[in-house]
Amino acid sequence: MKFGSFAAVALLLCSTVVSAEEWGTLKGRFKFGGAAPQAAALKADKDAEVCGKHKLVSEELVVGADGGVANVVVFVRDKDVKVHPDMAALKNVKAVMDNKDCRFEPHVVFVQTGQPFVIKNSDTVGHNSNVQTIKNPAENKIIPANGEATATFKLDEAIPAAITCNIHPWMKAWVVVRDNPYAAVSKPDGSFEIKNLPAGELEFQFWHEKAGYLGEATVGGKAEKMARGRKKLKIAAGENDLGEIVLDGKMFQK
Amino acid sequence: MTKAMSKHTSTQPVSVRPVLSLHVAASLGLLVTVLAVGCGPTPAASFRTNMVMAAKQRLTTDQERQVATIVEAMFGTPDEPVALPETGLDEAKLLLAAGPVRSDIVGRKNGLYREHCVHCHGITGDGLGPTAAFLNPYPRDYRPGVFKFKSTERADKPTHADLKRILHNGIVGTSMPSFALLGDAQVDALVEYVKYLSMRGETEIKLMQAYFELDDDAQGKLPETREFLVDEVLAGVAEKWKSAADAAIPVPEMPADIDLAASIAKGKELFHGDKANCVKCHGVTALGDGQANDYDDWNKAIVDFGREIAGSREQAAKTSTAEMSPDELAEHKATLAWLEKSRQVLDGDSLRPRTIPPRNLRQAVYRGGRRPLDLYYRIHAGIHGAPMPAAKGTIPPEEIWHIVNYIRSLPYEFDGELGADRSMVASGR
Ligand code: HEC
Ligand code: HEC
Repeated sequence: MKFGSFAAVALLLCSTVVSAEEWGTLKGRFKFGGAAPQAAALKADKDAEVCGKHKLVSEELVVGADGGVANVVVFVRDKDVKVHPDMAALKNVKAVMDNKDCRFEPHVVFVQTGQPFVIKNSDTVGHNSNVQTIKNPAENKIIPANGEATATFKLDEAIPAAITCNIHPWMKAWVVVRDNPYAAVSKPDGSFEIKNLPAGELEFQFWHEKAGYLGEATVGGKAEKMARGRKKLKIAAGENDLGEIVLDGKMFQK
Repeated sequence: MTKAMSKHTSTQPVSVRPVLSLHVAASLGLLVTVLAVGCGPTPAASFRTNMVMAAKQRLTTDQERQVATIVEAMFGTPDEPVALPETGLDEAKLLLAAGPVRSDIVGRKNGLYREHCVHCHGITGDGLGPTAAFLNPYPRDYRPGVFKFKSTERADKPTHADLKRILHNGIVGTSMPSFALLGDAQVDALVEYVKYLSMRGETEIKLMQAYFELDDDAQGKLPETREFLVDEVLAGVAEKWKSAADAAIPVPEMPADIDLAASIAKGKELFHGDKANCVKCHGVTALGDGQANDYDDWNKAIVDFGREIAGSREQAAKTSTAEMSPDELAEHKATLAWLEKSRQVLDGDSLRPRTIPPRNLRQAVYRGGRRPLDLYYRIHAGIHGAPMPAAKGTIPPEEIWHIVNYIRSLPYEFDGELGADRSMVASGR
């Protein structure tokens, strides 16, 4: 099924009796409202013989050819949310951030508290990874060429934390630290999906590097205000598709 | 300069004079203190609210006032400090360091902080004393709770002994003087007071950040309960100070039979290699001329916020209000007011950002101490708050010792070895 708007999702679900053991998927696709600006070229002037050849561009705002907005973060804000048995094991899978071609890959990584977080370096030059978490201890480790370092976070973070490299100042990425498995980062085509959510009302939060917490969005043609990027949604068993979520280009002009 | 100077004579852009709420104080068990505040004959000295953080978190005036009230209930005032048991601070020591300079018992002097530190570090410990703008690096702002030169892991607090050492030695190569001439009891009291100011500042920051996480039904107000204020926020800050002693960096002894020349050679290779990366910042010459336009965390926070505000102001100026609904117009105006306030706050409550160059390692001036052990700590843990990263985990201890030996040999290395870069040595960088 496909719902027109947040409101429609809510309306429909109010009449549904949700049993405790039902799980749903939330999906949608972020679209840039307006003409997307050209990504600025980055000046890779440190280790130029290695980094200079990659034609790096700013990844602050990545908009696909069809207007999809990548790297929008969606996560569940509720504390102590019930976790689907299939999702519990995800905590043991390594989350990886690579230093590759003098940029970070991926640009935004999601890590759960307690999950091993590996920062590796596939480049032939050394990097350092300065992780600017607020609640967790701030780390800044040397990552040698072809080396790696592993960290874990004890506490969840209310906002994504920046990761930078002090040697190559144009490099920037983000880590989203939550204490449950329910978060997603939109793909290059703007789509996202969070599987196996407990059915019922949940509060979601929407964030983007350039726009900050998304204060508004047009979902299914209807403009919605979302104070501090928060939105309560009723999740039904099965698929919950928000469809196209248009983000006004103005929010990204800072 | 002029901008930075005028700020200290003018009033703050938004002055927040808290009136202690009985509710907050009661939840902290502080009724007596509440009644005592503000009874002195002279105008009481007051702490400055962290306006940059308040602006960054976009707090309302009511929220600023709530934070100021809570923080004053927890920590008192510069003249009458309070140390709740959860802080683990010794109130008797604080009283020696706090307040105006005075002597009530023959041979004992009070008000040490205001006598020795305030003109640089400021009454709030925000690094905004009247002399601060003229110094490079700027005096430390203790409020984020970040300290550089210590025997503990990067993100941990310094130990009491670390801070005493700093006061005893000063920070060579900066304006931070040595206080070796003060008696041990006085240095002890000053260290306690630095911790107090740091805990106060960090608690204030945590409270300001907490608004963001409030649920909607809290209506923008922090819960004034003991559980939240003391058990969660204050204890969280204090705990890190208490556990500092357990966070000591393990340092294996440098092998006694080490071949120094071979060790230096290995250190040199590591320093210049892709594993340790030191050259990227300190330069192939080790003169500190690699990546030299970076900021430390304190200055970077101002740079980043300044950019955000400038960008948003530019954007707002271009926005047409013609087609806005009344609601949108009200929101737009609120944003403009916030941007203007933020601009004023940055102007009045921060210093012009300065870059932090990597150290010139040919001068044998080490801010965190010149013992081989000090250099080991710096390389193992990096320098918290500065771009210098930690070797911990990637470079094994014996290799760190090789690098230490190489660093220590650098000032004596024949400058001809610099080859083409020789002229830079002459220029004294
Ligand atoms: C003339 C100015 C000046 C005075 C006076 C001064 N300081 Fe400092 N202090 C500094 C500067 C500058 C730094 C930062 C040095 C750096 O970042 O390398 C600093 C740093 C510090 C640090 C941080 C050390 C670390 O490891 O990060 C402490 C603690 C400190 N001072 C305590 C004091 C105390 C206590 C007094 C009074 C007894 C005092 N200072 C007096 C200028 C001063
Ligand atoms: C990303 C840049 C960067 C890298 C990489 C780096 N440093 Fe530094 N280093 C700095 C900066 C910046 C400072 C000055 C920090 C300060 O004063 O707070 C510094 C300071 C130092 C100091 C002076 C400590 C003192 O007490 O004054 C030493 C020694 C040092 N670095 C050694 C090294 C070694 C050895 C390596 C390689 C293992 C290294 N650095 C890698 C940026 C870097």
